[in-house]
Amino acid sequence: MKFSKEQWHMIKALLMVAVFSTIFLGVTNMLTRAPIAQAERQALMDALMQVLPKHSNNPLQDTRQITLPKHKHATTFYVSRNQDKSMSGIAWETIAPDGYNGSIRILMAVRPDGSLNAVRITHHQETPGLGDGMMNVSWLDHFVDKSLANTRWAVKKDGGEFDQFTGATITPRAVVKAIKKGLEMFDKQRAYLLEDKKPVAKELTNDALR
Amino acid sequence: MHCGSGTEEQLVDSKSEIFANGFWHNNAIFAQLLGMCPLLGVTTSAENGFWMGAATLVALLGSNLVVSLVRDFIPSNVRIPAYITIIAAFVSMIGMAMNAWMHEMYLILGLFIPLIVVNCSILGRAEAFASKNTPLDSLVDAIGMGAGFTFALVLLGGVREILGQGTCFGFNILGDNYPDVLMFILPPGAFIALGFILAGVNIINRRMADKKAQQSLHMTQIPSSLETQQ
Repeated sequence: MKFSKEQWHMIKALLMVAVFSTIFLGVTNMLTRAPIAQAERQALMDALMQVLPKHSNNPLQDTRQITLPKHKHATTFYVSRNQDKSMSGIAWETIAPDGYNGSIRILMAVRPDGSLNAVRITHHQETPGLGDGMMNVSWLDHFVDKSLANTRWAVKKDGGEFDQFTGATITPRAVVKAIKKGLEMFDKQRAYLLEDKKPVAKELTNDALR
Repeated sequence: MHCGSGTEEQLVDSKSEIFANGFWHNNAIFAQLLGMCPLLGVTTSAENGFWMGAATLVALLGSNLVVSLVRDFIPSNVRIPAYITIIAAFVSMIGMAMNAWMHEMYLILGLFIPLIVVNCSILGRAEAFASKNTPLDSLVDAIGMGAGFTFALVLLGGVREILGQGTCFGFNILGDNYPDVLMFILPPGAFIALGFILAGVNIINRRMADKKAQQSLHMTQIPSSLETQQ
């Protein structure tokens, strides 16, 4: 097959555009990779600072990777410690898959006695002005000190203790359910999570955690 | 994707005219009704509108400049894929930069940043202006168009934020007792607010046209019979 002069010109032009775009994108990617990682770490750090109890260690480095039952990927647990190295709290991200619009990611921190220290929403796509009312710290503060034993885990509409907010029931319902599930998981896995030694590889399997 | 470039009159010469054309007479939102998706999607607050507009402005600057620089090199039958590649490259770079240095705003604007690629007004400017004009004129056009787009987004975002939450750029304006009108934060509010803004723009345009007509009348003293015809 032979290309005419015009066709060669078109091929050259498109090739040049593609090559230069790729070069510029590659350079930008190289320049921004570190700052993006840094920004994400900072965002996580800020959220951890808000949920974990006072601590004297760096929770970002005191972590545990555990694959929970029925999970494909490992969950990272961030541990906060008192001055005497004893655990003051443990935080992880739990996912509410049934938000009004996609899943909601919730960072929750639990004290060793199984009560919540604080929760924050780290990612959501709920309706602005309705479902995103859950971002309000005043609403999230309802969860402080709550544990499986001392609380009816549902929104008020369903006979529970948590306020739904104007016009949105699905979102708070999903959040309450996910946090309750997180607490139940903590209750079940307490022995592993509170163990001060890092769990050995054998214990990481689903069977060991069940 | 229809990019209404047919409505342009491209007989402009001075830089200020190019700017005024982009900012007002040919405003992507008010005059051409292009770029509605980010307009209605992200303008729940003035700040979101501003940063969305700023990201679009930067994308316009980049694509207009490059398209104008390579305008003699790109054969006309492959110009659209070439322009889209250039625009997509700039938008991806802006997305990465925002993710790195404006992480929170990047998370808020989310999907709307990559969607700048298919914002008609950008391909429209590459096609209708930058491919036929010098790099400098194209930059001025991008600034005018981008500023006009940002202005529209901030205006709509501001109106919706004030009516919906009683705040503007996060500052409390209508007091703590203001009952939040959720409808203005939700999509219907975007359409309603936009409708009123467009009506206002049309009133302003008509006043301006009347004034111009009167002025030219005084200057040329057209007989009154012609005036009634117009």
